[in-house]
Formats: sequence, C-alpha cells, structure tokens
Amino acid sequence: MTGPQHDAVTGFRTRFLLASAAWAVLVAAVLVAVPLAFADRLPDPLATHWGASGRPDGSMTFGAFVLFPVVLWAVVAGLCAGVAARARTLARRAPRAWACAGLAWAGGFMVLIQAFTIAANLDRGHWTRAAGMTWQVAMVVVAPMALGALGRLAGRRGPDVSPAPPRTGPLIDLDPRKRQVWVSTASASWATWLVLVALAAGASIAGLTLTGRSSIGWGAVVPFAVTAVVGVMLSSVSVRVVPEALTVSAGPLRWPSRRVRLDRVERAWAEERYPGQVGGWGYRGLPGHATIMIRGGECLVVRYTSGGELAITVDDAAAGAALINALVARRRPFVGR
Amino acid sequence: MLLTLDLNDPRPLHEQVAAAIRRAIGAGDVAPGDRLPPARDLARALGVNANTVLRSLRDLRDEGLLEFRRGRGVSVLRRPDGREVLRARARELLDEAAEYGVSADEVVALIKDISEEMA
Repeated sequence: MTGPQHDAVTGFRTRFLLASAAWAVLVAAVLVAVPLAFADRLPDPLATHWGASGRPDGSMTFGAFVLFPVVLWAVVAGLCAGVAARARTLARRAPRAWACAGLAWAGGFMVLIQAFTIAANLDRGHWTRAAGMTWQVAMVVVAPMALGALGRLAGRRGPDVSPAPPRTGPLIDLDPRKRQVWVSTASASWATWLVLVALAAGASIAGLTLTGRSSIGWGAVVPFAVTAVVGVMLSSVSVRVVPEALTVSAGPLRWPSRRVRLDRVERAWAEERYPGQVGGWGYRGLPGHATIMIRGGECLVVRYTSGGELAITVDDAAAGAALINALVARRRPFVGR
Repeated sequence: MLLTLDLNDPRPLHEQVAAAIRRAIGAGDVAPGDRLPPARDLARALGVNANTVLRSLRDLRDEGLLEFRRGRGVSVLRRPDGREVLRARARELLDEAAEYGVSADEVVALIKDISEEMA
C-alpha cells in the first residue's frame, strides 16, 4: 500500500468510527429515552416474552427492561463496528458495506422490538394482560431491512482498495517422464462444531418426541438435520490437480465433486478471499463466477478459457496454481507464457 | 503438496510414493507440524491404490518422518536429514546415468573429478 493511499484509509477510518459511534449513541439514547417516557403507563414487571400462541409468558422488571437492550446493543454495535474497522475489511467496499448493513439493521431491530413490547404493555396494569404478539414478530425482522439497505449504501461510500494483483508464481519445470500432482485440503473446525451441535439438538428433540415427553414434534428436527448436512459439506474441501484435470471435492465423503479438464483452463493464481467479500460461506456466486468458501484466507483461483472463474479456499494455493500454469503451458506451448 | 512420480521408475510403487512424499517434505512443501492430505486424496491424485499410499505412510512413520495421531490424521514430525535427501537424489542420478548408458562407477569417477575441480 502506498503512502497517500494509506493516509486516506486512516482518515477514512476516523470518520467511519465517528459515524458508527454516532449511530450507536443515537440508538442507545432512543433505547433509554422511550421506556422512561412511558414509565408511568407501564406495569412493573412488564411482559417481555411471548409464547408460540402469541400470549405473554415471561416478564422482566422495568429496570432490567431498560438496561438489557442497551447492554445488548453496546455489544452488538461494538462487534459490528469492530469487524468493519479492521484494516482489511475497512479498505474494501463489499465487506464494509455488509458490516454497515448489519449495524443499521441491528439498531432498527432493537428499537422496533422495544417499541412493540412497550405498545403491548401500555396501560395494561399487569404483565399477564399484555397484548398478544403475532404479525409484530415478522415486522421486527423484516422492517429493519430497509434500514439495513440504507446502511449498506452508506457503507459503500469510501475507498475500495482492490486486493493485491494476482501473483503468478514461478513456473514449475515439468519433466515429461514424471507425473506431477498437487493435493491440498482446507477445513473449518467451526463447521464440525456446527454439525455436532445440530446433531445433538436434533437427536434430543427426536428422542423426546419418540418417548412422547415433548410436543415440539418432528417439524423441529428437520432444520437441525439440514444444518448438520450443510455443516458436513462445509467442514472440508479437497482439491487435486493431476496432469489431465483439476478436481474439487466437498466434505469428508468427497461428494459432491467437480472436475474441470485443464484444456478448459486459461491460468490460475493464488489470492486472499474472505466470506465478507463473497457473501458468506459455501458455494457463493453463480457457475462461471463462483467461490467455494470454507474459511477466509488463501484461495486458488482458476480462470476458464471461456472467461469464467472458479475460486476454492485451500491451503498451499500458490503451489497448486504454479502446477496448473505449468501444465496448461505444456498443453499450449506456443501461447504466450 | 506437490508430488512427483517417476513413470519409468522400476522400484515398487509404495517405495516410489514414499520417495515422492519424502521429497515434498524435504523441499519444505509441508513443514514439521503440518498435516498431510488424507491418504485417500493422495491415492486418487497419484492414481494408485489407497493401501499403497498407506503402506508408504507407514514406512515414513517408521523412518521417523511422520506421526500418526488418532483423529488428527498424519502429520510431519521432522524433515529428512541431508543424508536421506542426498541418497534419494543420488539414486535419481544413477537412474538417469543408466539411461545414457553410464555406469555407476563412471558416475563416481565423474563426481570425484568435479570435486577435485572445485577444491
């Protein structure tokens, strides 16, 4: 990074942190001022939790009701702003915009959930007589998305330092009498934990349902089973380059698997990519411009002769790229090296 | 990890695979403490049976280069020392010499010549 560019990012960082802090303080002020303004018309304790039927089934003292959202908000805002202010996120437009969207959405969510809670408790005398919650549940999730979109627009303003240009590693000298291959993997321990937690939760709900001790039912097992399957797929990826093709396989079962013949490949390079840039984990993007994101960091990028790209997060990507380039150059000896 | 198999090598396949992995460790492709890709992946890439790769891995463990840990796969324990690397290189050199019809004794004489020139 050059000097002036670095200064621009530093100055931007200060402005960014000031703007985030202003938003955080504004939301915190609303979170404290609104309940205090209605204090004399609210029961103490007031209803703060609603059951599946839409009736209130939990309460909190007024003091806790004022304090809890502010503390939660401080943590959430701190995390969002902290993530966004990290050097590698701040300088890049896409991840910064998403962090800002998260910050804006979370603020709206907190304010809205508090507003609905106050509205339900207003002039009710006792928390058990609080109004039901039905459509409001969807509202508190969906309505702040408008704020999130605004936050994303705000976050798009500012610098966008593109990642380092693709490094083209040294070409490997291929010996025609030898078969050279490259094998590498990447794994994400968080995905393994996700699988274990989902399996444990799914199994205990299934057990309780089977023995008739719970009324949650099989419907609740499905999302945990789906989570476990997705987690297994995301827990690892294996890439191998042989003289004929590049093969990418997901998960410990190495299925599904995708094979790309090297005569479709124009060149390859190593690059750093992060979930914030590509929109999360897993298979991101469309075929022809996709990233298989297992963990942030080193990534093998392959450009097809058709112009498309495939990126896979994998360790030791530079060596793999060098071998692919050497194999491709051998296939087309007269095309510019 | 980059692995190279010699297509004309007359040695048993598991020795060739072991040599390829030893070379990769020697070249620093994988450092002590790093995990090796699973044997199954190595076997598929090299186009050999998984049992062949497992046999090579066991040989390398017996040499003290690799460590098998339950649930954590196979990891590199140490790099092969200079003698082991040179031995493999010398073997390749002799193979190449044989292709040109040069005997082992002639290669030894050649090396002596060169070392005297360098001294």
